[in-house]
Amino acid sequence: MNLGIRRTLDRVFTGLTGASIVLLMLVLVAVLGPMIYRGSGAVLFGGTIEFRKMQRDLFNRADRAALEAEIAEADRARQVVYDMIDRFKKGIDIATMSSEAREINREYGRELRYRDVASEEYTEAREVARIIRDKLEEAFSSQDIALIRANVAEVLAQKDEARFKGTVAERFFSLATDFLDAAEHIDLSHYHDYLVALDEVEVILFGSIEHPGLLGPRPNQSARPLAMTSYGATRWDRAQALLDRLLWAEKWVEKEPGQPLVKARSPRAALFHDTALEPLFAYVPEHLNEMLRPRFTVYWQFFIDDNFDSHYFGGVGPEIIGTLLITVVGMLFVVPLGVISAAYLVECASEGPIMRILRMSINTLAGVPSIVFGLFGLAFFVLFLFPKLGFEPKACILAASLTLAVLTLPVMIRASEEAIRTVPRSYKEGSLALGASRFRTFVTVTFPAALPGILTGVILSLSRIAGETAPILFTGAVAMGPVPKSIFDPTRTLSYGSYDMAVGDRLAMMVPHNQYGMVLTLIVLILVLNAVAIVLRSRVFKKLKGH
Amino acid sequence: MLGPSADRRRPLALTPGEDLVGFIASYLGRAVLFLITATSVLAVLLILLFVILRSTPFLREFGVREFLTSRVWRPTADEPVFGALTLIVGSLYVSIAALLFAVPVGILAAVFLSDIVSWKIRNVAKPVVEILAAIPSVAYGFFAVLVLAPWMQRRFGFSTGTNALNASMILAVMALPTIISVAEDAISALGRELREASYSLGATRLETMVKVVIPAAHSGIIAAVVLGMMRAIGETMVVWMASGNATQIPHPWWDLSQSIRTMTATIAGEMGEAPEGMAHRSALFAVGVVLLLMTFVLNIVSEYFLSRAKKATGKS
Amino acid sequence: MPEKDKPMPATAAYSQATKSDIRMMVTLGSRSAPDSKSPPAACVCPVIRSNGFSLYYGTKAGVRDITMDIHPCTVTSIIGPSGCGKSTFLRSINRMNDLIPHVRTEGLLEVDGQNVYDKRTNLVNLRQQVGMVFQKPNPFPKSIFDNIAYGPRLQGIRRKEELHHIVEQSLKAAAIWDEVKDDLRKSALALSGGQQQRLCIARALATRPRVLLMDEPCSALDPIATGRIEDLIGQLQSTYTIVIVTHNMQQAARVSERAAFFCLGELIEYDRTEKIFSNPAKKQTEDYVTGRFG
Ligand SMILES: Nc1ncnc2c1ncn2[C@@H]1O[C@H](COP(=O)(O)OP(=O)(O)OP(=O)(O)O)[C@@H](O)[C@H]1O
Ligand SMILES: [Mg+2]
Repeated sequence: MNLGIRRTLDRVFTGLTGASIVLLMLVLVAVLGPMIYRGSGAVLFGGTIEFRKMQRDLFNRADRAALEAEIAEADRARQVVYDMIDRFKKGIDIATMSSEAREINREYGRELRYRDVASEEYTEAREVARIIRDKLEEAFSSQDIALIRANVAEVLAQKDEARFKGTVAERFFSLATDFLDAAEHIDLSHYHDYLVALDEVEVILFGSIEHPGLLGPRPNQSARPLAMTSYGATRWDRAQALLDRLLWAEKWVEKEPGQPLVKARSPRAALFHDTALEPLFAYVPEHLNEMLRPRFTVYWQFFIDDNFDSHYFGGVGPEIIGTLLITVVGMLFVVPLGVISAAYLVECASEGPIMRILRMSINTLAGVPSIVFGLFGLAFFVLFLFPKLGFEPKACILAASLTLAVLTLPVMIRASEEAIRTVPRSYKEGSLALGASRFRTFVTVTFPAALPGILTGVILSLSRIAGETAPILFTGAVAMGPVPKSIFDPTRTLSYGSYDMAVGDRLAMMVPHNQYGMVLTLIVLILVLNAVAIVLRSRVFKKLKGH
Repeated sequence: MLGPSADRRRPLALTPGEDLVGFIASYLGRAVLFLITATSVLAVLLILLFVILRSTPFLREFGVREFLTSRVWRPTADEPVFGALTLIVGSLYVSIAALLFAVPVGILAAVFLSDIVSWKIRNVAKPVVEILAAIPSVAYGFFAVLVLAPWMQRRFGFSTGTNALNASMILAVMALPTIISVAEDAISALGRELREASYSLGATRLETMVKVVIPAAHSGIIAAVVLGMMRAIGETMVVWMASGNATQIPHPWWDLSQSIRTMTATIAGEMGEAPEGMAHRSALFAVGVVLLLMTFVLNIVSEYFLSRAKKATGKS
Repeated sequence: MPEKDKPMPATAAYSQATKSDIRMMVTLGSRSAPDSKSPPAACVCPVIRSNGFSLYYGTKAGVRDITMDIHPCTVTSIIGPSGCGKSTFLRSINRMNDLIPHVRTEGLLEVDGQNVYDKRTNLVNLRQQVGMVFQKPNPFPKSIFDNIAYGPRLQGIRRKEELHHIVEQSLKAAAIWDEVKDDLRKSALALSGGQQQRLCIARALATRPRVLLMDEPCSALDPIATGRIEDLIGQLQSTYTIVIVTHNMQQAARVSERAAFFCLGELIEYDRTEKIFSNPAKKQTEDYVTGRFG
């Protein structure tokens, strides 16, 4: 082959090998990037006043006096929104207005009875009030502006009557004026559309039983059962998203027949053109800051807080505790077992069939799929061993830890074995030559010298245990539940929680920061452990070399 | 002047009778240590025993034949059918697809790390591989569901983002660290002489690698691939989350964009709904036995090639 | 002690007496050793006897068919070209080769009349009585004090004052006390190579062995430190049986009473040092000591 081609091929090959590493790096960035970017949002974000309210109510954590002042400020800015909506509602909310008119009528009657008036005067007043009520109701349900004007004028004619002065009936007249005022500004033929559109706006702003809103429930609204709908947007990014939904109405439209539907956006303000509500769409974006008062927040309590409403609020405290518990209990079993096994393999065992069987078992154990460990843990620890020992045969931390201990045993043995093997033979010889027994030599000389290496193994097993999910699916992990009281309770863990939130319902999708925050916590925990192990290992390596 | 300690002299030879404590301690100590070390053996035996034991009620009732040949897996029907063929094929399918991605990249990366770069770059590139290995599988599954699946759906217009392609791509990433480190060990264990011989004859790096080094290291590389395969077959969380879990064999067979279901995902997904004492649960244990046997076989194969690789480098 | 006198009575005594008799005899002999200035009569019995001893690393022989007796309260040097099995033989005496896999021995090697490779030999007791100093200094990664006190502690000495006394005595005996006395808590690894080696000698002395095996103890030391250690060996000679491996002919001539010449794993010649250096019986020995070895 010609030299040029060979050279080119060689370069291409070199480039390809480099590209493979670059590819790996890209994969790493692609995997970790979104998690770090979005997960950090669980801790660092613009927290609104609603967030602080939520923290006060759910976690009892606030500077109350300052918060009250802030809330008052915010409410002042919000009041404008409430007023606009109320005014607009007067024009279109027939049911409310009618019932109000009826209510006034009834109360007026009651008032009259207590006021001790002559009976014919009473009858007449009642009669007039009833007529006013009917006129108003007729006007409310009418779409004819002329009739409305006439009826309202008729009602208002009664305004100066002495018998209504200072009574509840005066509210008839304000009701009538407000209604006329509103009715003049809207196209009455579309009042039903307005009703629907208004409802949407109200849900976006104040939320509903299912949906959290931008500002949260209005001050006089009744309390909602779920924490998640009892507060407005707690985060500025969420507020921005809701604001966007407020300003833009989205609709799925068919552009061309037969084609898939596409999303179309139109300004929502157009729906309320020329009505009392139109200024709202300018006011809210302009004053959102005052209404929500966002502030950069470091929510470090994410790592200790429990969650509310399937991770809508709160953090991953119990998950971290559960992970640590499982890990620590597992390490209690696997570290002594692993170190002693390694010591035996290095110091005592001589080559032969027994050694071969031991080695083969360790290798086999390392290759068993993690889900099979889950099956084994369920069949052996939970269903077989626990009843034998008098425990309740249920999935719990102890079972999960034991299962994971068996799973990590090979990791621990291999790491410790290597650590013990790399202790210079001269240390051992020095000790033996002084008349120390092998046991003594191991305990006083070999083990201390191997300790950093063994620690590396311990940390690696730790990170393995903390990250495994499949083996604890049936042996001790749950998605929801109380914080465990003992090792005989099941627990939430970061790993299982990450799974649950990834495949979880719509609710989890509404809080991507908490979704990603959970998995980021897990990854950071594990990578930090690994980094410590790597540093430790390189330091040991250097020390042994420098010696 | 310090003299020998005549007074502390102890006899050199001790019969077991004379040194009973020492004798018992040393033998007992060894025995205890051995027993503790034998935990690993015990664990393997117990795993085998209990998984097989739990699966026997099912196998006795339904028979091995249907289990291994039927394509229908309908565990909760009134007339339940447990045909694991689809699941077995699914497991093999995603694993092999994963290897198709991972092996070329893995070998190239191993060559890169062992033969091409300086120690400095190696020290940067090695941690990348180590971090990839350290990321827990549930995090990969999370990525597959929430990042990769929507992206694939948008980019390629697949009907679902959780499919065989998604699962096997992630499995490839997870198998890569194993493949790279074992293959790199095999390649760099060959020593300089071999390469120098080839270079001195005027071969380029490509020719040296492809014609001399990789063939010489083939045992180790095969072991690497087998170990990678083991990792992929045994993986649970990723396939459960990313493969779509549709009980079907893709048709046409090369269409990776279809959903698929593996043995591991089936066990993980259905164990929660399979009550104790039912054939369903027992059938899931039977799936576990198949899984276990597959990994045993792969383990033996990998060990065979690893020992061959060791012998080959030991001689040279 | 003329050589021709030695074998008959000792061997006879050995072959006839029971093990415990021999043990008693040796014990008595060594106990009387520090008291009397001249070599006592009991010293006729060799401390170390090797009879047709061979050691194999797998199939390869480290030493082959070594027969020699090493007498109490003498300094015996072993010389020979590199790789001839000097270290192997030395390490066989206190069974340090046990650590190496696939080691096999043949023949007889006795310390105090006890076959070292007998099953019943208690290694702990053996090594407490047969101390060793290695070619490369190998202090433990502990403090100087802990290094020296390691042996005494093994023997169950716990009392602070007694340990301090032993540490001081040992360090003084190894001629390193003045250099380290101010900082006994310092890590032993922080000492220089020569200091470390003297520390290792002190550590071996602190166990109070009867036999001291030294494998090229001075190869890492400067002439002054070497001189000190040679003086030290001279002092120790009255109470210890010392076997020293060295590449330095002058050193062997200076410090040892008897010398053994090894070559290719075999013992070529074993005699009084003056004889080996001035009038060797074998041509090979002569070539080696006169530097014509090649
Ligand atoms: N651990 C071992 N395994 C196999 N062979 C060994 C081992 N140690 C030593 N040998 C071999 O035994 C022979 C004797 O070695 P030994 O260390 O006793 O030599 P030496 O006389 O002490 O040499 P030097 O003067 O260089 O220290 C050498 O050929 C060596 O290769
Ligand atoms: Mg030597």
